[in-house]
Amino acid sequence: MEKPRTNNASHVPNSKKRAELDGVACVPSELADDAPDMSVVLGGFTMKNPVTVASGTFGCGQEYADFFDVSRLGAITTKGVSSEAWQGNDSPRIAETASGMLNSIGLQNPGVEAFCQEQIPWLDTLDTSVIVNVSGHSIHDYVHVIERLEDEPRVDAYEVNISCPNVDAGGMTFGVDAKAAAQVTAAVRAATQRPLLIKLTPNVTDITVIARAVAEAGADGISLINTLLGMAIDAKARRPKLARVVGGLSGPAIKPVALRMVWEVHNVVDIPILGMGGIQCGLDAIEFMLAGASAVAVGAASFVDPCASVRVLEEMVAFCKEQGITRVRDLTGALEV
Amino acid sequence: MTKMQEYGHIVFNKQIAEGIYWMSVNAPDIAAAANPGQFVHMCVHGKPSVQFLRMPFCIYDASADMNAVDICYQVVGEGTEQLSKLVPGEFVDIIGPIGNGWNPPENTQHALLVCGGVGAPALNLLGRALAIGGAKVDAVMGAQTASKLACQEHIECSVAKSGGTVHITTDDGSAGVHGFVTQVSDELIASGAYDYVAVCGPLPMERNVVKAAFEHDVFCEVSMEKLMACGVGACLGCTVETKAGRKRCCVDGPVFDAAEVIW
Repeated sequence: MEKPRTNNASHVPNSKKRAELDGVACVPSELADDAPDMSVVLGGFTMKNPVTVASGTFGCGQEYADFFDVSRLGAITTKGVSSEAWQGNDSPRIAETASGMLNSIGLQNPGVEAFCQEQIPWLDTLDTSVIVNVSGHSIHDYVHVIERLEDEPRVDAYEVNISCPNVDAGGMTFGVDAKAAAQVTAAVRAATQRPLLIKLTPNVTDITVIARAVAEAGADGISLINTLLGMAIDAKARRPKLARVVGGLSGPAIKPVALRMVWEVHNVVDIPILGMGGIQCGLDAIEFMLAGASAVAVGAASFVDPCASVRVLEEMVAFCKEQGITRVRDLTGALEV
Repeated sequence: MTKMQEYGHIVFNKQIAEGIYWMSVNAPDIAAAANPGQFVHMCVHGKPSVQFLRMPFCIYDASADMNAVDICYQVVGEGTEQLSKLVPGEFVDIIGPIGNGWNPPENTQHALLVCGGVGAPALNLLGRALAIGGAKVDAVMGAQTASKLACQEHIECSVAKSGGTVHITTDDGSAGVHGFVTQVSDELIASGAYDYVAVCGPLPMERNVVKAAFEHDVFCEVSMEKLMACGVGACLGCTVETKAGRKRCCVDGPVFDAAEVIW
């Protein structure tokens, strides 16, 4: 060794794996004998626990499998799948912001056929539910993706993305107009009997109008929120930090907005809500359930801590035990105003 | 390739050149698995309002008997500023080893490492591996000015063992040749002596070195740098334009065959 060591660290296991450090037992906390009933029902299908991941932050789970058993999650929500392969947007695609980040990935994905060939075999190895996120530039695109996926028994539910701020055609343009949102919902509803979630954008004047429209058009549940449209500027270069100039804001910065919208939507529709937006810890997730969510998704937090989603689950279990809550689903909408 | 997450204490964290620090973190599992050119994704638990995402750093040094992963970084923003203030005994959260590292041809006879600024750390383990493998290794190391030259001793150590030469360049002439790295590397590559060129540095420099390598038909690899979010291949935030489409810098790179990249 050609360099000096100021501190001989050999064989001193001060560095520990997170599980050792956190004292995680061999039996996952959500499966222990004294665990509360963590199962929830989301738009017609049962999740063994309320925690999934936000589409686009987790691939199909394989990227995180080195860090924890992703089957412990209540469901895997996949990266958006489109009819054909999409190249996504130019770089730079991300920018760090106060308490969050902007992205303008643009739904890069290899298309539904490649998804079925490459990802379904991996998803088949998992012991949890699979929600496939569906993207499109047109109503026909959405329907085509779902028609192809109907042949795949591994798929438990769909989450239809009418809220991506990073594509020119389709995406958010459907989600900001009640009539268009209802048209997409009705078209995909006709294509499947499977549980159907519609993912809404917060970039609207009144989220309740859109929520009502998709509920009336046949949605089984509503996912919200997608990212908030924002931008970041490099002052010295006088240039936008994102190649596409604007992008979607995520991370803890958006949690209060997300909570408010979950609450508003819960008050006007009867279908269940998959709540998301800035969830970093178990307590955040509990807040979403109190506001009206039946299940929750962890998004950008997985970028900071690859184990964030399963940690959120463990912390929710701990919260329920501490508070004497025997069924986590009793928390949904239990906010006292 | 398994990625691991470890909480390791800082063994040392010291300034080795102007604004450039060398940090060693106790992380035995990552250290044992690390290959030349891979990186670690590091989290400094500070104010999330300042530093939300992790920061990727090339592995400067690591080995099974070291128990530690070393990085070498330049203070460029709030995150690295915060990192520079950590002291031995404090803990950091690191994920690694990540990505595809250097992949020199097995029978490499004479290699050239071209390092610009804090690109040098990414080439340290490669230089060592090539020297151990019996190749002759030369290096060109450039910096803006003498006080910002870093990692010279370690690169020099491998190069000397291999019987090669280190060439220094500075933009202001305060050390070595007065000028850019490429002034020296262009001439060296043109000499036809090399069967492998590895480059890490600012993009314009990398582009020029790659151009010279193409012109003289030398196999060239390049370590790319992109803004990253997840660092594990999930978010698609760090894509590089390649002839086979947009690839992820984090797990498809950070080292690419230069002929694969669209320059």
